[in-house]
Amino acid sequence: MGIATFLTRTRGSADKAERIGAADVMAYCYLALGVFIILVPVLWTFFSSVKPERAVDSFDTRLLPYAQVETDVPGEGDKTTWIYTDDNGNETVVFKAGPTRKETDVAPIDDPTNVFKVPRTQLAPNEEIRIATENYLDPILKRNGQTNFTFFTYLFNSVFVTVMATLITLLINAMAAFALSKYRFRGRLTFTILIVATLLIPSSIILVSLFFVVWSFGIFGSLWGVIIPAAATPTGVFLLRQYMLTIPDELLEAARMDAASEWRIFWRIVLPLSLPALSVLAILSVIWRWNDFLWPLIVLISDPSAHTLQIGLTTFSGEFDSDFHYILAMTVVSLIPITLVFVWLQRFITTGIATSGLK
Amino acid sequence: MSIAALASLIIGILWIGGGTWWLLARRQYRLAQIPNFAMDLIGFPVELAQSLFGRRGVPYALLLPNMLIFGFFTFLPMILNFYVSFTGGSSIALFDRPWVGGANYGAIFECESYFDPRTCSNEGFSFWKGMGNTLIFVAVQVPILCVAALATALVVNKNIVGRGFWRAMFFYPVMLSPVVIANIWNWVLHRKGILNETLGNASDGITALAGMTGFDIAATVTFGILLMLASERAIRANADPSLPWTAVFAALFLAVFSWASPLRMVGFEALSSFWLGLVLVAGLLWFVATGHPRARWAIIGFGILSIVLLLSIQFDSVFDFGRFRPINWLVTPNTNWPFFWLVFVFCWSHMGFYMLILLAGLQAIPRDLYEAAKMDATKPARAFYRITLPLVMPTLTVVLVLSLIRSFQIFDEVWLLTGGGPGRETFMIVQHIYETAFTGDNPAYGEAAAGSVLMAVVIAIFTFFQLFITRRQSEL
Repeated sequence: MGIATFLTRTRGSADKAERIGAADVMAYCYLALGVFIILVPVLWTFFSSVKPERAVDSFDTRLLPYAQVETDVPGEGDKTTWIYTDDNGNETVVFKAGPTRKETDVAPIDDPTNVFKVPRTQLAPNEEIRIATENYLDPILKRNGQTNFTFFTYLFNSVFVTVMATLITLLINAMAAFALSKYRFRGRLTFTILIVATLLIPSSIILVSLFFVVWSFGIFGSLWGVIIPAAATPTGVFLLRQYMLTIPDELLEAARMDAASEWRIFWRIVLPLSLPALSVLAILSVIWRWNDFLWPLIVLISDPSAHTLQIGLTTFSGEFDSDFHYILAMTVVSLIPITLVFVWLQRFITTGIATSGLK
Repeated sequence: MSIAALASLIIGILWIGGGTWWLLARRQYRLAQIPNFAMDLIGFPVELAQSLFGRRGVPYALLLPNMLIFGFFTFLPMILNFYVSFTGGSSIALFDRPWVGGANYGAIFECESYFDPRTCSNEGFSFWKGMGNTLIFVAVQVPILCVAALATALVVNKNIVGRGFWRAMFFYPVMLSPVVIANIWNWVLHRKGILNETLGNASDGITALAGMTGFDIAATVTFGILLMLASERAIRANADPSLPWTAVFAALFLAVFSWASPLRMVGFEALSSFWLGLVLVAGLLWFVATGHPRARWAIIGFGILSIVLLLSIQFDSVFDFGRFRPINWLVTPNTNWPFFWLVFVFCWSHMGFYMLILLAGLQAIPRDLYEAAKMDATKPARAFYRITLPLVMPTLTVVLVLSLIRSFQIFDEVWLLTGGGPGRETFMIVQHIYETAFTGDNPAYGEAAAGSVLMAVVIAIFTFFQLFITRRQSEL
């Protein structure tokens, strides 16, 4: 077998194997380009978020976080240091003793009194690689006057909304799906059609009147105003109903023989058996709720202590249009939980959604 | 304490207290069965329904919570929307709102000319501008999204190394929240951001390269060799030219054709050659894909044409970009860049979801169909048109409808990236509703509701039209 054949063959036994053709090369190029476009902005944001404030503000496009070294000069306080290269190529670490001009006053950090003039062009910043943890720690620990981003409140609100909404969604959708799949009763078709109809009503066209309803229920401005209105999802009902139809009725009959109540049958038999569908719905619900934006923005905007992570990050970005280093760091922080969930469950998520095949 | 809180308190006491009493009176629980007791307590209304009405009552009790939420938070608002749209004022209490009849609709339709939103009243301008932008956005966005999702699904459905990894990677942006997406892209697209930096470096580098002596000849020779290689590989196959290599050749041809710009000599603008080239290339690909007997000759003809064109190109002027000026991607008016980036970012963040749905559709196609096609020596392109496309059509319809409804409601990305600007270039209909109702000191709920009713009408028309068309197609 020639080397070229060996290198270009694809999976399979030697006689059945096909060779890599132009189509495969193009496919790999497409995939590489796609992943490049998807990953580079995220990674670039991450790398930028660990840069010191100065590097971020001056739009330093080097990958690594370079920071100018600051030294405590005796009698002068903290000074940023520069490297002066004289005509012979000798390098001295200096600090600026006066304003930057064409000929700048500098002094060596070892000998602060020895001020001399050097051309500006021979000065280069004295840089080190330093990870700027303060970008993350200042807003989270409320240091340096960064009291506006109450990270743990936002995180708690987001987690609370996501977990409660997902639990409620799973429970009531499973109940509805159980009723629609395992019982014959008057009005089953009507209920099914009603649920299909809600699939056709996009949430943004009932925005205004939903606001009136939520207001009159007295849950406007509270987290429950975000959790309850979207707890019943037509998608979830159908996903679970399709799955529960595959559970044999004999199991239910056997349980009825043993005098189990219908509710017991539901949560002891049907719920455990439809775990695969339930987990797909759980994942979908977590994605929806964690990333929900417009409705929480309307309901929660007036009360900062009820902001979710998304709303908090929005108002934070709006207030400090120039403090990019904090914004980037907080963006990365709010990106981490969902990324971890994704890395942990990715195989499950992609196959789950692909096999359920519904929105 | 509000009435709602009082009601929920009473229901809670009845549920927990009454349920505990009811359950303990009928069943024995051991201490280890506390979780069982808790689950029974949650389902206490269902148990009660069964004991009162027998098994017939159970499904209604099971459906009740779902239907209550649907009723109060979907159907009731749907009807209420009509009522609110006929009332005025800024009161939140529904019964304080004065009835204004069709005045809210009147304000939207109060235009001198129906073809120019600028002649409308303020509300009308805002609504029609938003509606127009949204329609353009949907018309551009949905085809791009669907084609990209289908292409990606086809690629990741192939027998490739690390399929799971690629699928996961394309799905990853779906998990990100709109705020994170907007912050990431704001950072990348900033005037001094990484994109402008990279483009500037690349353009400076190429300009410097083009300024070197001998670049013209070197580039001509390089492109000549590339064209020869691609066309040779394309027509090397025995019976019919190979489609992938023809595609490579076509891309090269398109580049050469638009650089040489033969139409400019006749007095058209430079870009028109690109479109003509695109038409020619599409024709060639169609020729090869359908296996026309003259396809080989078409490739040879295109090859000769490209050599002639290649000799006429001044490569050092083609690659001399001059000084690169950083572009303010999201802010500069009258450039369509903000709109372009919205489409791009929306595709970037939503493509993975539709890709997964299409992938499920593709995997449901029986393998033996392709094996039978292979037995008959069917070309891959023909197999795609005759097997893959018809069989994936139902899934594609679902994706079309879903992505249409989804992109019609675009708000988050626009609001966070451009805020509807510059001017009102990216102002979308949901933003009109949101700003009319929820921002500003004088919320105009009535007008916003009227806007949402009209938007619902448009969405309904779109959905039914699309279902109708695709249904007709699948019947054929």
